[in-house]
Amino acid sequence: QAPLVIKMQTSWNDANIWQDFARDYATRVEEMSGGRVKVDVLPAGAVVAAFQVLDAVNDGLIDAAHSVPVYWYGKNKAASLFGTGPVFGGSATTMLSWFYQGGGQALYNELTQDIMGLDVVGYMGFPMFAQPFGWFKQEVNTVADLQGFKYRTVGLAADLMAKLGMSVAQLPGGEIVPAMERGVIDAFEFNNPSSDKDFGAQDVAKNYYLSSYHQASESFEFLFSKAFLEDLDPDIQAILKYGVEAASTANTAKAMDRYSADLQFLQNDAGVTVRRTSKEILDAQLKAWDELIPELEADPFMKKCLDSQRDWVSRVSYYELMNAPDYGLAYEHYFPGKIKL
Amino acid sequence: MVSFIRFADNLSAWFGKSFAWLILLMSIGTGYEVFVRYVMNNPTAWALDVSFIMYGTLFMMGGAYTLSRGGHVRGDFIYRLLQPKTQGKIDIVLYLVFFFPGVTALIVSGWKYAVRSWQYGEVSVNSPAGVPIYQFKAVIVAAGILLFIQGIAQVCRCIIAIKHNYWIEADEDVFETEDLLMQEANKAEKDHIT
Amino acid sequence: MTDPQIALMMLGLFIIFVFLGFPIAFTLMAMGIGFGYYAYFDANRMWRAFDRLDETAGQWDQWSTWFEGFYNNRIFDLFVNQTFTVMSNEVLTAVPLFLFMGYIVERSNIVDRLFTTLNVASKNVPGSMGVAALITCALFATATGIVGAVVTLMGLLALPAMLKARYDPSFAAGIICAGGTLGILIPPSIMLIVYAAATNVSIVRLYAAALLPGLTLVGLYLVYIIGRSILQPSSAPRPTAEEVPDMPMGKLLWMIITSFVPLAFLIFAVLGSILFGLATPTEAASIGALGGIFLAFIYRAMTWQRMRESVYLTLRTTAMVCWLFVGSYTFSAVFSYLGGEQVISEFVQSMNLTPIQFLIMAQIIIFLLGWPLEWSEIIIIFVPIFLPLLAVFDIDPLFFGILVALNLQTSFLTPPMAMSAYYLKGIAPPELQLTQIFKGVMPFLFCVILSMVLMYVFPSIVFYLPDLFYGR
Ligand code: NA
Ligand code: NA
Repeated sequence: QAPLVIKMQTSWNDANIWQDFARDYATRVEEMSGGRVKVDVLPAGAVVAAFQVLDAVNDGLIDAAHSVPVYWYGKNKAASLFGTGPVFGGSATTMLSWFYQGGGQALYNELTQDIMGLDVVGYMGFPMFAQPFGWFKQEVNTVADLQGFKYRTVGLAADLMAKLGMSVAQLPGGEIVPAMERGVIDAFEFNNPSSDKDFGAQDVAKNYYLSSYHQASESFEFLFSKAFLEDLDPDIQAILKYGVEAASTANTAKAMDRYSADLQFLQNDAGVTVRRTSKEILDAQLKAWDELIPELEADPFMKKCLDSQRDWVSRVSYYELMNAPDYGLAYEHYFPGKIKL
Repeated sequence: MVSFIRFADNLSAWFGKSFAWLILLMSIGTGYEVFVRYVMNNPTAWALDVSFIMYGTLFMMGGAYTLSRGGHVRGDFIYRLLQPKTQGKIDIVLYLVFFFPGVTALIVSGWKYAVRSWQYGEVSVNSPAGVPIYQFKAVIVAAGILLFIQGIAQVCRCIIAIKHNYWIEADEDVFETEDLLMQEANKAEKDHIT
Repeated sequence: MTDPQIALMMLGLFIIFVFLGFPIAFTLMAMGIGFGYYAYFDANRMWRAFDRLDETAGQWDQWSTWFEGFYNNRIFDLFVNQTFTVMSNEVLTAVPLFLFMGYIVERSNIVDRLFTTLNVASKNVPGSMGVAALITCALFATATGIVGAVVTLMGLLALPAMLKARYDPSFAAGIICAGGTLGILIPPSIMLIVYAAATNVSIVRLYAAALLPGLTLVGLYLVYIIGRSILQPSSAPRPTAEEVPDMPMGKLLWMIITSFVPLAFLIFAVLGSILFGLATPTEAASIGALGGIFLAFIYRAMTWQRMRESVYLTLRTTAMVCWLFVGSYTFSAVFSYLGGEQVISEFVQSMNLTPIQFLIMAQIIIFLLGWPLEWSEIIIIFVPIFLPLLAVFDIDPLFFGILVALNLQTSFLTPPMAMSAYYLKGIAPPELQLTQIFKGVMPFLFCVILSMVLMYVFPSIVFYLPDLFYGR
C-alpha cells in the first residue's frame, strides 16, 4: 500500500542547516511508522513563501510546517512570547519545558485556536542555543559603543535593540552581507555559528559576540493542519506528535556537533575574534526588557502568558541554577587557559 | 454592449490612473528615507513597508486598466496573423475558461484571506514600526472586482469581434514613446504622399 | 499517471497554450489553478457540507451548497496566498521606480543632445556615425532599464543621418537594433531585477556583475563597427563637412558639458550609490526618478503631459511584469507540489552531462525560447525550472544570470518576435526591408555569442566587480 504522504514545508532554504533538522523529523516519522507515513520536506518558497506557512497550514495548502512563531508575530504580538520574549533566567530548555509541563501549550492553543480562530495544532521542539548578539566590524564593549549603529534583527528583538540606542534596519536575509559591505548596516545578528558561517558573515565582520538576551529561548514550531491531523489513525497521530520530541534530541545533538565545529572554523580559519558580550551591554538589555514588558502587558493575554512564564522560571530555574555545578570550573580544570568567561 | 465596454474601460482607467500616482509618492517617500538616513543619520522604520505596500497596490490596481488597453504580454506571433473574428473566438473561450475562475478566486478567497487579516489587525513583521497590512490584503479583492468587470467587457469585445470582424479599441490616452514616434512617422509619411 | 508525470503534462500544455495568444499572465494563472484543482482535489473536504445536507433541503439549497463545495478547493487559497507574496516582494519594488526613471529620461530630449555631440566628437574615427550611435545607446542604457524607446529614438535620429551619409542601410539598422537593446543588460536593467526576484540572487551583486560583461559587449560591437568601416569603407563613408559640421573646440566642450555631464551625474548617482554602498536598488531608483525629473526640468522638457504619460506608462508596464509573476508563482507552486521539479532534475541528471554540456544545453534552450517569446516570460517562467539544476552542476546562479542576460539580448533581434527590429521597422523609411534589418543584425548576434564564450573562458569578467565590492 502506498504510504500516506505528508507535505511539510519549512521556512528555510535548502542550504540551511535547519532543513537538515526538519529532515531528522521526517526520517524518524518514516521509520517509526514502518513506512506507512512519508514526510515530504519542502524548502521555503516551494509552495508558499517562508512567512506564509501559518496561513498555508490553516488553509490546508500544506499539511504541516517547520518554522518559528516569531515569523507570524505581525498577526498577534503574543506569538513572540513563544520563544523570543523576555528572558527571566530560564534557557530554551527551561522554556520548552514550560510549553509541555508549565501551561505553555494550553496558552499556545488558546492563542492560535480560540483567539485567532486558526485550524492548526502546534508542537514545539529543539530548544535552540541562545542566539549570539552578533557580528560587528569593530570591538564593542560598552553601550556607548553601540550608539547610532544600524543593526539588523527581527521580531521583538528589534524593539529591544532600538532601546539600546541602535537604529534597527530590516533587511531581507540575502541582502545582509552586501548591505554590511556597503555600509547600509553596521552590525547584525542572524542565528548560530553554522547558519552565520554559511551566510558569509565572516567575510564582512570579524568580531563575533556570543551570549545575549535578545533571543535566548527559542524553539522550532511544528505546525499541523488540525483537520488533517484529526483525520489520521490514532497511532499515526501519536507518531507525528512524539516524533517532535524525538527530533528535538536528534537536533540538539547535531547542533552541538555542527555549531561548535563551525565556531572553531570561524575562530581558527576565518580570522574571526570570538568574544562574550560585555556585562554592561547584557545589563542594558535586561533594562530594555524592563521597559518593554509593561508595554507588552497592556494586553491581557500577554500578561497572562508572562505571569505563567515568570511563575515557571522562578521555581524551575531556581532549582536548575542552585543545582547546576559550575561547569566552567570543571572545563577550566581539564582544559586550562582555553576559555575566558 | 458598446456602452458597457466604455463604462468598464473608463472605470478601470479611472482606478488605474489614480493609483498610478503612487509612483510619485513612492519616489518621494523613498527619497526621503535616503535623505534622513544619510544626511540626518536617522532612518525611518517604516520606509521599507510603505514602499512595498505602494508598489503592490499600484500594480494590483493597474491590472484591469492594463487589460483594457491590451497591455498584458501575449505569445502572439501566430495570433496576430489571425482575423479579428478568429481572435475573438479563441479569446472568448479562454476568458471563460482561463480568466474568470482565477479572478473569481481573487474576490471570494481573497475576501476570506483579507477578513482574517483584518480580524487580527495584522501588521508587517519587517519592522518594529507596526505598519498595518490588513488594508493591503483587501487590495486583492478590489483588484479582483475591477478585473471581473473588465473581463465582462472583454467578453463583449469578443462577441462584437466575432460578429463584425473588428476590435473595439479602448480610448488610448498615453502611448509608449516608440508607439508615439511610429505613429508620427507614419502620419508624416502619409502627409508626404498626399 | 503519477503526479510528477502530470506536472510535466502541465508544463507541456502551457507551452502549447501560450501560442493561442491569450495574455500569458492569465494563461499561467489558469494552468496553475486547473492543475492545482486536481492536486488539491479532496471530495470529502470540499463537499462535506453538501453531504450533510438534510433530505428536506430545497433545490436551491442543494445547488448552492454543491457550488460552494466546488469552489471550496484549496487551490484558490494558494492562488491568493501567492498573489500576496508577489505584492510584498521587496526586490520587485525597484521595478516601478526604475521604469519611471526610464520613462522620464526618455522624454527629456537627452538622446538628441548626446548623439549630436558624439557625432561631432567622434568625427575622425572610422565609421564615426555608427560609433556615435552605439555609444549614445550604451550611455542611454545606463539610465533606463527597458528597450523600445531607445531603438525608436535612435531610429528617428541616427538612421536618417547615417542613410544620408550613404551608410549601408542594413549595417546602419543593425547598429541601432543592437545598441538599442543594451538597456536591459546594462544596469539598471529591469531584466536583472526580475531575474533576482525569480531566483533570489542578490540584485546588488547582479548589477555589479553585469557591468563589465555589458561593456565587453559594447566593446565587441565597436570593434565590429570600426573594423568593418576600415575593411569596407563604402559601407560607412566619412561624413562630409556639410553632414557633420566642423565646430570650434569651445562650442564642442559646451555641448559635452550640457549633454553628457548631467546624464553622467545621474547615472553615477544611481549606479554609484548602489555599487558603493549608499543605497539599496529601490532607494537608488527613487533617487534616479527624482533626478530624472530634475534633469527634464532643466532641459525644459518636463511638461504636465509628459509627466502624466510617464506615470501611466509606469503603471502599465509594472502591471504587465508583476501580473506575470502572480501567474507564474501560482504555476510553479503547483508544479513543485506535484513533484515536477524533482522529476526534471532526475531526468537531467540521468543524462550524465558534464557542467559545460549542461550550460550549453541550457543556453541553447533559452536562445530558442527567445525566438517566439520575450525576456519577461523566459525569465519569470523558464529560468526557475533550470535553477535547482545549477546546484547539481555546481554553476553559480549569478554567473548563469549574466549568461542569460547576454543570451536574451538575442531575443529582441531574432524573428519571429524581434521587437527591436519591429520598432525600427515601424519608424524607418519604407524602403528599409525587415530582411535588411535582420541581415544587419546578424553580425551583432555573433558578437553576443562571442561575448558569452568570453564570459565562460574568463569568468572573472563577471566576478571581478561583485567580488571587489562585496567580497567572496
Ligand atoms: Na540599463
Ligand atoms: Na525573438
